[in-house]
Amino acid sequence: MKTRMLFFIRCTMLASWFVLCAAHAAGYETAQTLSPLPKPFAAPDFTLQGEDGKTYRLSDYRGKVVVLNFWATWCPPCRYEMPSMERAHRKVQGENIVLLAVDVGESEDKVFEFTGQFPVTFPLLLDIDGAVIQKYPVIGLPTTFVIDPRGIITHRAIGSREWDDEKMLAPLRKLLKP
Amino acid sequence: MMKKYPGNIRCYDIFAAIRQVTLAAVMLSVAMPVAAVISTGTDAETGLPYWEVVEHGVSIRLVQRLPDQTRGFFQARGFSIADAELIAQSCVFQTVFKNVAPPSDPGVIEYNLDEWIVHVAGAQRRMKTREDWQKEWSARNAPKAAQLAFEWGLIPTRQTYRPGDYNWGMSLFSLVPGTSFDLDVVWRQGGERHAARMKRVVCAPDVHVSPDTP
Repeated sequence: MKTRMLFFIRCTMLASWFVLCAAHAAGYETAQTLSPLPKPFAAPDFTLQGEDGKTYRLSDYRGKVVVLNFWATWCPPCRYEMPSMERAHRKVQGENIVLLAVDVGESEDKVFEFTGQFPVTFPLLLDIDGAVIQKYPVIGLPTTFVIDPRGIITHRAIGSREWDDEKMLAPLRKLLKP
Repeated sequence: MMKKYPGNIRCYDIFAAIRQVTLAAVMLSVAMPVAAVISTGTDAETGLPYWEVVEHGVSIRLVQRLPDQTRGFFQARGFSIADAELIAQSCVFQTVFKNVAPPSDPGVIEYNLDEWIVHVAGAQRRMKTREDWQKEWSARNAPKAAQLAFEWGLIPTRQTYRPGDYNWGMSLFSLVPGTSFDLDVVWRQGGERHAARMKRVVCAPDVHVSPDTP
């Protein structure tokens, strides 16, 4: 009897320990990280039409920090992070930090439909045939690159982030300091 | 040989058990990484079943997608009814692969879907990836816009995640709706190979709701 009880206690404690470890490992909150690239490289230049009808050329932003986001309206994490990008855009106005979001493979109408639900005031560019995304090392959406004032890609984030978080903005501001 | 304690000292047994289990736990945590925890349940967002592997710093979750969801999604992206049907009947899951290690952890996680193995009815095979499908869409003359949406809609074949990175994407297992299978998932963490088996994963059934359905 005593042996059986001892066995039961041991099993219960061991099981609890495993459950605790599992819960800790799950950690569903995505970390607010912006990984520096081990090998920074020059951002491939491009010219794209925006959803607003204007033409945008990446190299026109030389001297500024550019947050370049590749996304699509059907991609849940892309949609999730867009409001935080808009808040970040408003937060950094006048700081020489710009946000550009490149929609991959969708029409102007699709993007317009999206902005009806989530108003965005920074440029939304249309890479309708996917020619621009092919120039960048993007494997999944969303992927965001940070380009320094010299046009060098220094950081990358795969998946969504809360872009208006000071933890995310600090490395961008740091790039502006010579 | 069983150790004998005086019959009236029950507490001694309990404390001894605590000591032994704690010692075993410490030894286990030092000697080997935490074993993968595989769970299943209902995804809070979609209300559909999921299967998940969680290990230190890694979370891989497969959530069922109903064939009707997939049909609608790909028809809206320019695929013909026949091509959208082909995808919808291919056992599609929404896959979420995350590096959930704390930012202080320099651990890089890599995977390659070519290493993942599907076990079904005693047979095994690898997954059909973006590259395999690309050939198929070219042969079937699918519109370019549709091909692009398909390519970016699928989970990448290979990826490298730093802490905080993750992807969502569809995985297609080329099985009939309702089929049950096991899946070996493989990844590398800091260069070290890890693997886990998700058992009895079930493709969503193809439910056709008619106006007469109660």
